[in-house]
Amino acid sequence: MASFHRTVFSFALILGGLLASTFVTAPADAADKLVVYSGRAERLIKPVLDEFQSKSGIQIELLSSGTTELVNRLQAEGDHSPADVFLTNDAGSLEHARELKLLRPMNMREVERAIPSQFRASDNSWIGLSGRFWIVVYNTNLVKPNQVTSLLDLAHPQWKDKIAIPNSGSEYLQAGVSVIKATFGEDRTKQFLQGLKANAGTQVYQKSSQIVEAVAKGQVALGIVNHYYIYRHLAAQPAAPIAAIMPDQQEGGMGAIMNVTGIGITRTSKHVDSAKLLVEFLVAQAGQKLFADLDKEYPLHPDVKADPVLVDRHSFRAALVPLARLAELRESTLTLIEQVGLR
Amino acid sequence: MFTAARVHTPSMLQWVSLITAAILVLPTGYIIYVAVTAAPSVWARLWSTRIPELLGNTLSLAASVALTTLGLGLSLAWLVVRYEFPGRRVWEWALALPLAMPTYVLAYVYAHLLGMGGPVEQWWQGMLGSDARLLSPQGFPGVTLIMALDTFPFVYLLARGAFLNLNLSFEEVARVCSISPWATMWRVTLPLIRPAIAAGLALVVLYVISDFGAVSLLRYQTLTYAVYQQMTSRYDHTAASILSLLLVLMAGLFLVTERWFRQRSRFYQTTGRYRRPTRRQAGPLGTAAITGYVALVFGVSFGIPAGMLVQWSGEAIGQGALDTRFVGFVWNSSVLAALAASGGVIIGLPLAYLASRRPSRLNLACLHAAYAGYALPGPVAALAVLVLFTHFVPAVYGTVIVLLTAYILHFLPVGLQSMEPALQQITPNVEEVARTLGCTVQQSLRRITLPLVRNGFTAAWVLMFLQTMKELPATLLLRPVGFDTLAIRVWLEASEEYYQLAAPAALLIVLLSLPALMMLVSKDWRGREQEIAS
Repeated sequence: MASFHRTVFSFALILGGLLASTFVTAPADAADKLVVYSGRAERLIKPVLDEFQSKSGIQIELLSSGTTELVNRLQAEGDHSPADVFLTNDAGSLEHARELKLLRPMNMREVERAIPSQFRASDNSWIGLSGRFWIVVYNTNLVKPNQVTSLLDLAHPQWKDKIAIPNSGSEYLQAGVSVIKATFGEDRTKQFLQGLKANAGTQVYQKSSQIVEAVAKGQVALGIVNHYYIYRHLAAQPAAPIAAIMPDQQEGGMGAIMNVTGIGITRTSKHVDSAKLLVEFLVAQAGQKLFADLDKEYPLHPDVKADPVLVDRHSFRAALVPLARLAELRESTLTLIEQVGLR
Repeated sequence: MFTAARVHTPSMLQWVSLITAAILVLPTGYIIYVAVTAAPSVWARLWSTRIPELLGNTLSLAASVALTTLGLGLSLAWLVVRYEFPGRRVWEWALALPLAMPTYVLAYVYAHLLGMGGPVEQWWQGMLGSDARLLSPQGFPGVTLIMALDTFPFVYLLARGAFLNLNLSFEEVARVCSISPWATMWRVTLPLIRPAIAAGLALVVLYVISDFGAVSLLRYQTLTYAVYQQMTSRYDHTAASILSLLLVLMAGLFLVTERWFRQRSRFYQTTGRYRRPTRRQAGPLGTAAITGYVALVFGVSFGIPAGMLVQWSGEAIGQGALDTRFVGFVWNSSVLAALAASGGVIIGLPLAYLASRRPSRLNLACLHAAYAGYALPGPVAALAVLVLFTHFVPAVYGTVIVLLTAYILHFLPVGLQSMEPALQQITPNVEEVARTLGCTVQQSLRRITLPLVRNGFTAAWVLMFLQTMKELPATLLLRPVGFDTLAIRVWLEASEEYYQLAAPAALLIVLLSLPALMMLVSKDWRGREQEIAS
C-alpha cells in the first residue's frame, strides 16, 4: 500500500500547492484594495473604476454578475463577505439590500451636496449615481414615431411578433412593471403583460444590447430597453435605423419610468475609508461626467450635463413612483410576472 | 508509518468511501428536500405557468437532437468502417474534433453567421432578393442543429468502435440465408451494436438536457436555463429547487431506461472465430459522394467555426486582447481544471477501488451514490453546493473551494467511468502471481497495479480537466471575486455580442482540448464498451 499512499500523498501535495497559489492571487486584506460587486455590465463600469484606480492608487477587484444574484450572494456570505462596495443598476435591489441590513449608512457631506435626496435611501445606505429611463426603441424603417405614445400600447395586437422584450429575470423589467402596477393597478398591468407576452413570442432577450441589435437589424420593429443602449449602439453604428420614443408623456400620462444605478458600502466592509473615496469620486462633478459620458446615462448631480445626443432631461416627465418603493413592490410584481408566464 | 496504516487500510478505506458517498449525495438530497418541502403555492404557481412549457421544450429538444445525432453518427461510422477511400484515416479522427468545441462557442459562431444581417443572410439575399430569409439559429430547429453538430461524435465514436469489433460471421450467416443487405443491416448488424448506440445517445441526451450556454445564447427555454434564471432573478431558491428536482428526475429516469436497454441486449458471443469486417474500396463516384458528405459534416461542425475563431482572434489580438488580464484567465482556468481533475481522481479512487476489488453491496452502493452527480446539470450542482455551503459553512462561500466542490460533484461520474474499468482489469490473481514470484506488496503495487491503472486514471483526469475547463453555469454562479475563467470570458463577451473579443478565449479552450481529445481517440475511445456490456 505504500506506493498507493505515496501517490495519494503526492497528489495531495500538488493539490495543496495549487490551492495555495490560488489563494495568493485571491484578494488579500490589504488596506489599499477594494472589492466591488457590480450588477452592471462590465463594459459599462470597468473604465470608470480603472480611472479611479489610477487616480487613487487603490486596487479594485471587480466581480461582475447579475444584481439579484449579488444580493443573494451578499446575504449568503453574511459576515464573511469580502465585498466592500455594491454597485447596481436598480434602486429596488439596493433598497432590498438595505432592508436586509447588508449596507451601512454613509454620512458624507459630498453625497448630500451632489445627489438630490429623492435619489438616495432614507438613511443614505445607498445613493443613486445616474438615471436611466425605460423607453421604446423603434426601427425607423418599420415604425412611425407617432404610432406609439405609451408603453402600454405595445400590448396592442397590431404589434404581434413585432416587439422584443427583456426576460423576466431582468431587474429593470421588474422595476418597470412595478411602476406600471403602482400607477394602473394589478388588472390593467396583467392585461398589459399578457399582451406583451403574446406580441413578443420568442423575442425575449437576456440583454438590452441584444434587443437594440434586433431592432436595428429589422428582426423586430420595436423593443423596450434602457435608453442608453440606443445611444451606445448609435455611437458605434451611426447609420443604424433606430430611434427612441420617450413614452407616456401624453396629457395625464404616467411619465417615463425611471430607475437609477446606485452604490452602497457593505456593512461588513473593512475598507470603509477607501470605499468612501470611491463614492466621493463617483458623485463629484468629474466622476459624474465620466460616468455619464461613458454610459450615456443622465447624471444625478444637478450641475453636470448629460451627453448632448440624449433627449434633453428637461423636455420630459418621469413617473412619480418613489425609487425606494421598488423594493416593496417587487415580490408581488414577480408573482404577477410569473402568473402571466413571461419567460 | 505505512506498515501500520496497511493493517487498518480496509476499514479505513471503507470509512473514507462511505463518508465520500454520503457527502456526494448530500447536495442532491438537499435539493430534493427543499423542493419537496416547498409551499404548495409555489408548486402550483410553477405548474400553472412555467413547467409544462419547460418540460415540453426540454424533452422535444432532447428527442430531436438524439434523432439527428443518430442519423449523422451512424452513417458516418458506417462509412469510415466499411469503405476504403482516400483520406479515410484523417477523416476518421477529424470527425471526433467537434467534441473539442464547447456548445456555447458553436452557438455564438452560428448566431453571428446565420443571424439577421449576418454574412450568410447577406449572401443569400444577394442571390434571392432582399426579402429572402434564412432559418434563424434562434428557435427550435436552429438549437437542434447546433446541439446535434456538437454531440454527434458521441454516437459516431461509439458506433465506430462497435462496427470495428463486430464479428463479420454474423452477417455472413445472414447472407448465406439469402437475406438482403438492407435486411441484414436492420435485423443483424444494428441490433448487435444497439448497446453502443444506446450509450452514445445517453451521452447526447444528458448533454442536451444539462446544457446551459448554448440555450441561453440562442434564447431557447429549457429546464436547465430556467433554473439559472430562477436563481438569478429571485431572492429565494425554492422555485429553482423545484425545477431542479424535475431535471434530476428526468435525468435519473433516462439513465435507468438506458441501463435497462443495454442489459436487455446482451447477446455477444466472445467465443469462437472472430473476423474483422473488410473494407470495400469505393469507386471514383462513391469516393466523391462519401468525401463530400464527410467534409460537409466536418466543415459545419468544426472547420467553419474554427476558421471564424482564428479570424476573429486575429482581429482581437490586433486590438490588444492578449494582455496580462488574459494571461490571468488562462491561469485561473488551468489551475481550477487541474485542481478539480486531481480532486476528482483522489475522491473517486477509494470508491472505484472498493467497488471493483471488494464489490460488496455497501461498496457498490457507495459507487452508485457518486453517480448522483451525473443527473445534476451545472446550475443545479451550483445551486446544491451553494445552498449547502451557505447553510453550514458560510465562511467558505465565495472561495475556490465552493467552486471545486461543484465541479467534482458534477464531473466525478465522468472520471469514474474511466477509473472503474481500469481497476476492474486487474484481477487479484495478477497481484497474487506477482507475490508468488517473490514481489512484496509494495513491489507488486508499483510494478503491476499502478502501471495497469495508469491509462484509465490518466483518461479520467483528462476528461475531468476538459469538462471543468469548459464549464459555465456553476462557474458563473460560484466564482470568487476577480476569478474569471476562459469560459466566463467567452460567455460574457459573446452574450454582449462582442464576437471578436470572445474569440481568443474560445479558441484557446478548443486548442487546449485537442491533445486530450486525440489521446482519447487514438486509444479507440470506449471501444471497450462492448466488453463491458458483454
